[in-house]
Amino acid sequence: MSTAIQLPPARYEYGGDEFVFVELDQAMSLEANFKGMAITKALRELDMEGVVDICPSNASYMIRLDPDRLDPRELVAELERLEHSVGELPSDYVLPTRIVDVPILFDDPWTRETLMRFRDNHQDPSGTDLEYAARINGYDGVQAIIDAMSGAPYIVTMLGFVPGLPFCYQLVPRDRQIEVPKYVRPRTDTPERAFGFGGAFSVVYPVRGAGGYQLFGIAPAPVFDSTQTLPDFADDIVFPRASDILRYRSIDMTEFERLRGEVEAGTFRYRIREVEFQPAALLADPDAVNRELLEVLYR
Amino acid sequence: MSQLNVVSGGLYTTVQDRGRPGHYRIGMPPSGAMDQYSCAVANLLVGNPDDAAVLEATYIGPRLEFTDRRLVAVTGADAPVTLNDEPVEAWQTFAVGPGDVLAFAMIRGGARVYIAIGGGVSVPRYLGSRSTYTLTGIGGHQGRKLADGDTLPLGAAGDGPPAGSAVPEDLRLRFDSGIELRTVIGLCSYRLTEATLQSFLDTPWKVTKDADRVGYRLRGGKLDFIEREQPFGAGSDPANVVDLGYPIGSIQVPGGDEPIVLLNDAVTGGGYATIGTIISVDRDRIAQAKTGDQVSFTSVDLDTALAARARRRDRIERVRGALRS
Amino acid sequence: MTTIKAQMPGVFYRRPSPEADPYVEEGGTISEGQTIALIEVMKTFNEIKAEQGGTISKFLIADGDEVDIGQDIAELGSV
Repeated sequence: MSTAIQLPPARYEYGGDEFVFVELDQAMSLEANFKGMAITKALRELDMEGVVDICPSNASYMIRLDPDRLDPRELVAELERLEHSVGELPSDYVLPTRIVDVPILFDDPWTRETLMRFRDNHQDPSGTDLEYAARINGYDGVQAIIDAMSGAPYIVTMLGFVPGLPFCYQLVPRDRQIEVPKYVRPRTDTPERAFGFGGAFSVVYPVRGAGGYQLFGIAPAPVFDSTQTLPDFADDIVFPRASDILRYRSIDMTEFERLRGEVEAGTFRYRIREVEFQPAALLADPDAVNRELLEVLYR
Repeated sequence: MSQLNVVSGGLYTTVQDRGRPGHYRIGMPPSGAMDQYSCAVANLLVGNPDDAAVLEATYIGPRLEFTDRRLVAVTGADAPVTLNDEPVEAWQTFAVGPGDVLAFAMIRGGARVYIAIGGGVSVPRYLGSRSTYTLTGIGGHQGRKLADGDTLPLGAAGDGPPAGSAVPEDLRLRFDSGIELRTVIGLCSYRLTEATLQSFLDTPWKVTKDADRVGYRLRGGKLDFIEREQPFGAGSDPANVVDLGYPIGSIQVPGGDEPIVLLNDAVTGGGYATIGTIISVDRDRIAQAKTGDQVSFTSVDLDTALAARARRRDRIERVRGALRS
Repeated sequence: MTTIKAQMPGVFYRRPSPEADPYVEEGGTISEGQTIALIEVMKTFNEIKAEQGGTISKFLIADGDEVDIGQDIAELGSV
């Protein structure tokens, strides 16, 4: 990346007696996320007694602990130690992860119907969410912004809000990040599997419900399956994991319907490849690393 | 047949236990009994293990018909309890038999009653817990609140304390007006000025109608955020931050005027600035605050939070001891 | 004279939707089990049903006002 971002010292906060919240930066950046991923991964490997949940977030992370078994102050001391040992991200640091092909039908009839129903809640009631996002981000029309979103992969920087919802941040320098506001007033309805965008993050909504992100499309495949029917959900009820690299591939209605058929028949499988991701290499030359990632995915 | 007949489900009655910890990282809150103390004591009264599932009923209790001999106990909110229209005491063990009907009159104090039945409500465990999480429809009885005509499976009852065993008076809940919520200020509290933070602590807040297992929305004052150029990725509203994790019990102020306290079934993260977290023990207190009640926040440190937690554990052990003797 | 009490706290509504007519006017007669109002709490609208028949002589809470548990909603006269 053109200029390396210098992160401020992490800020440690007690969320009552059961949580420790650590803010790595107030602004979103790949650097802050990579630092959080490295620290939370190291903490997971320590397998500390009393740590209940390790939740890497976008530019922060949060730990739930059982204070009857672990003093929150002891945990913070350990986290500070990790910040200085692994948080510096040496240039040869390797993150073993997966790259996944995530098909998206952009500008689909279902999210279009929903966003039209909630036009009064939007910044620009005159057009669609995609038209609005293309305009305020300086793209020459809807197809150009779709090309930008499907052109470079995203990294899952946080799971949360509701079970299985992946917050994803594109692996491109800040000046190429797409940024959109959330709805002026949240919608009371969002279709299941809708592809949304808010701030600098894209998401796939796991379940139908309220939401405030701009609606751009819909995924044929689920990210959440409480019945664990599909083979990709055999080990967990949610598909995405923190640090997964997702490539949102624009598909047409014919492919969408075929993939829906596979999901309903219980045979759908995501295209997944294991990768050794090097954050420092990505920061130094994102286009080259992204090209390699896509090569690995579709080889 | 070891089953329980739900004659009437009440307003919002769900199967809950100690909760489903360990899945916060995928975005799943722990659920579980909102008032953990009352849940634990109810289980002790009928000789259940600590992780047995109970019924949690909000505002209007259910009508339940038993089909075999069991021990039963009711704790939590103050509501007159009857067995076959005859009054029975809350915070006490009593025996029921086939055809007996348990019912509740209007709540006099608090918001949630807990009903423990010897052997526990033995709906299937989901990810290690029987707690209901209605948002994704998992756990409990079909992932939802109880409806009239439901039947629930009950576990095999072990030995319990003799009928008539009672929780000592000083270990029962008291319902005073004005509920104090001890709070560790922090997280993103830097978004508020010192004066605004002080006014947050000085304000008596009223519980609105939007107060449920997900969270409590409060009203009564206005909080101003410090003006700033929003950091990259945070979104344009001054209440927004780059999306982050929300502790259970954390307080956020989306529009500046209606603080929300997130509780057992809450969203696990999002883009609103959080300004502090009520201590884990006081989630029991807010669980018994009802719409229209007044609550206030008191700033405490971590030591106070840990001491309060130790004190609750001690109270539960005192109940255990009192029922054993 | 008996009163109908709120069994739950929340916001009190006399009509099924903002545009609709009230369930029952003051002076109107009601029968046992008839819906006379709604209370909104915990994101649901709950029907308040009369436990006995009679005449609603007076509503004691205005449409849209907050109501506490146990609060008198209406005065009920005999038919």
